Amino acid sequence: MKRLLLYTIAAFFMLASCSKKDDPVFDESPDVRLNKVLAEYQAALAGAPNGWNAELRTANGSLYHFHFGFNDANRVQMYADFDTATAFERKESSFRLKALQQPALLFDTYSYIHILADPDARVNGGEFGLGLSSDFEFSLDSLAADSIKLTGRFNGSKMVLRKASVQDLQAWQNGQWKNALLFESISARILNYFKRLNVGGTAYEIALNVASREITFTWKDNGGVTRQHTTTYSFAGNNVQLGTPLTDGGTTITTLSNLSWNAGTASFQVNVNGTQAASIAGAIAPLIPDLAAPARWWQYMADQEDYWISWFGFHVNGVDDAFKIRSIPNFYYLIFFPEFNTEQGVTYDLAGFISLSGGSLGLEFGAAYRPPVFTTDGRVIFRYFGTLGDVPPVHEEKYLNTASLLNNTSGFYLVQTGATTYDMVSAIDAKAWISWQQ
Amino acid sequence: MHMKAYYIIFCLLLVTLAACNSEDPLENPDNIPGLGGDTWPPGPIDVWIKDSLTNPLNVAVKYKWDQGELELNKTLVPPKEETVIPVLSTIKQVWIKNYDLVAGEYFMKKYCPKFFVLVGSASWNPDGTVILGTAEGGRRIVLYDLNGFRTKNMPGYVPEDSATVKEMFHTIEHEFGHILHQNVMYPLEYKRISVGRYTSNWNNVSDEDARRDGFITAYAMSAPDEDFVEMIATMLVEGKQGIDHILGNIAGNGPNGTTPDQARAILRQKEAMVVKYFADTWKIDFYNLQTRTRASVEALIR
Repeated sequence: MKRLLLYTIAAFFMLASCSKKDDPVFDESPDVRLNKVLAEYQAALAGAPNGWNAELRTANGSLYHFHFGFNDANRVQMYADFDTATAFERKESSFRLKALQQPALLFDTYSYIHILADPDARVNGGEFGLGLSSDFEFSLDSLAADSIKLTGRFNGSKMVLRKASVQDLQAWQNGQWKNALLFESISARILNYFKRLNVGGTAYEIALNVASREITFTWKDNGGVTRQHTTTYSFAGNNVQLGTPLTDGGTTITTLSNLSWNAGTASFQVNVNGTQAASIAGAIAPLIPDLAAPARWWQYMADQEDYWISWFGFHVNGVDDAFKIRSIPNFYYLIFFPEFNTEQGVTYDLAGFISLSGGSLGLEFGAAYRPPVFTTDGRVIFRYFGTLGDVPPVHEEKYLNTASLLNNTSGFYLVQTGATTYDMVSAIDAKAWISWQQ
Repeated sequence: MHMKAYYIIFCLLLVTLAACNSEDPLENPDNIPGLGGDTWPPGPIDVWIKDSLTNPLNVAVKYKWDQGELELNKTLVPPKEETVIPVLSTIKQVWIKNYDLVAGEYFMKKYCPKFFVLVGSASWNPDGTVILGTAEGGRRIVLYDLNGFRTKNMPGYVPEDSATVKEMFHTIEHEFGHILHQNVMYPLEYKRISVGRYTSNWNNVSDEDARRDGFITAYAMSAPDEDFVEMIATMLVEGKQGIDHILGNIAGNGPNGTTPDQARAILRQKEAMVVKYFADTWKIDFYNLQTRTRASVEALIR
């Protein structure tokens, strides 16, 4: 019995081992096919005489454009519409094609495309440790005659390469893209918080978020109704292209182009929709003030017996933290505390300087203000009451600059920028402001 | 009978084995893409690395992006090409050359870590702190923040950049210290100096507080090995004067109740043991090495 079992098992082994069916799904081995695909991509990339136009949509949804010129020696030349420098100075770096889990294109030394993915927020205005959620290592999804589709391997951003024409390359070389990117230097050139696009007799207040490439228009339509339009924007050659066009009655705004800075009038000349002349200039007051904002801002913290905080203090004439309050050792933030305390029968508000000492936060000194005055045209005026605590002589200037700017008799406009964030803008000339958050 | 049965089974097995011999030659392994590492036409950086590091010291440097060498959950970017040679040549100047001078040319050939990985950005932790360097197994050193590395000879240098420069050499000397004591252990008495005060909570202690308790940095509180190599790194990068300055600034009792004089005595004892270890084990005059290293660092930042 035992012997029979052994024979049977042995026979089974024999039968099984004789099965020589070798029927692969593909004609060739994975390595051969992979090498073939990589060679095809390399030939395509290096085979475009005028290089490739690239459209990169980051995981955040912002759109950026590049121009790549690949060669056969792992080198790539690059333009990018990140800023006026990257749009005009061609930078060389390296790339390689690599068999990762899929065939992949790696930009393997730093160039313009890495700016978006840089975890240092000082480079790109994104988040520390994350950047703008972009990629520089892509899997190659598909290759057509004149286009290549790619997907970022880390953040999943999407890129499409299209074969460029001579004109496409020239648009970078002769500065058309650079010219369009002047648009993002509006805030550096126009020092007022409020900026207006004047087109065909109508003024549109514009607010730009460069890091997320978003723009908000605020205006009054023909019926006098306040309207707002927020959209993404991107660049295309000489044009600033709105993601969703702005429509205002019979007016539609799709593109802005031909930007030029006029130092004499301190404004930008610009063409709307290619032909209509328009201008972008600063303004000292909001187009449509949020009349209730000052009281709403003040009351919000008064109700909670809590305070607003500002990390950087005042921005003045184009300079962040103009009074250098962050240079106070262990400085943490500036606070505004409505109804901080009562002294001599006056319930005062406090602008306090908070520092870190011995592992906890402490109020070092601050400026006290009588109850604020809310004007009917949407401003708040603070009236100096006194100084709380002792201001060390070395920090006196920082304190006095901050306290006296708050004390200015024109007061401030409040602009709500989020659920619990406000910008407080000096009503003198709108060139000084401070951002408050919870 | 039994014999015969086994014989038959044996024959059957032979047939089975033969049946398995299907002629299916392996593909030419040379065709596997990426086998043996990526290659590209060598550029000036590759030539410089080969001539300055690979040929004399058998050191390889990876400066092009390779996610496989790095933490997979971190957002990082590769270095700018224009930073690679300046960083590597300062490393040669400050670290390798000075060891060569005091320990002879074969010392570094033998003990130098053999593989450097360069990263352009710092590695950001969720708590906002950054990592500027790591080392593994005495072989691999990862250096971060090359794009922020600026010496006084480079355009755009501001005094704050000296912190990045010092941090990079602190990292390298720290990791090399580990390699030395992993080859020959330092005297066990060292571990007894601060026994009972090592803590995993070191990252909540400031350097100032650590010094009040007789540790040269907060990280030195994490373990005796780290204590030992932090002493080496700080002494080399800050120099003798720098150490005197650090010790002179100790004021107030430490979290464990150490008085400033006790803290200074502890640190001097640790210093003496480091110096003795270098002299006894490696025949290196530590103060000579310290003077040279600090002078090289100062040449980059002052």
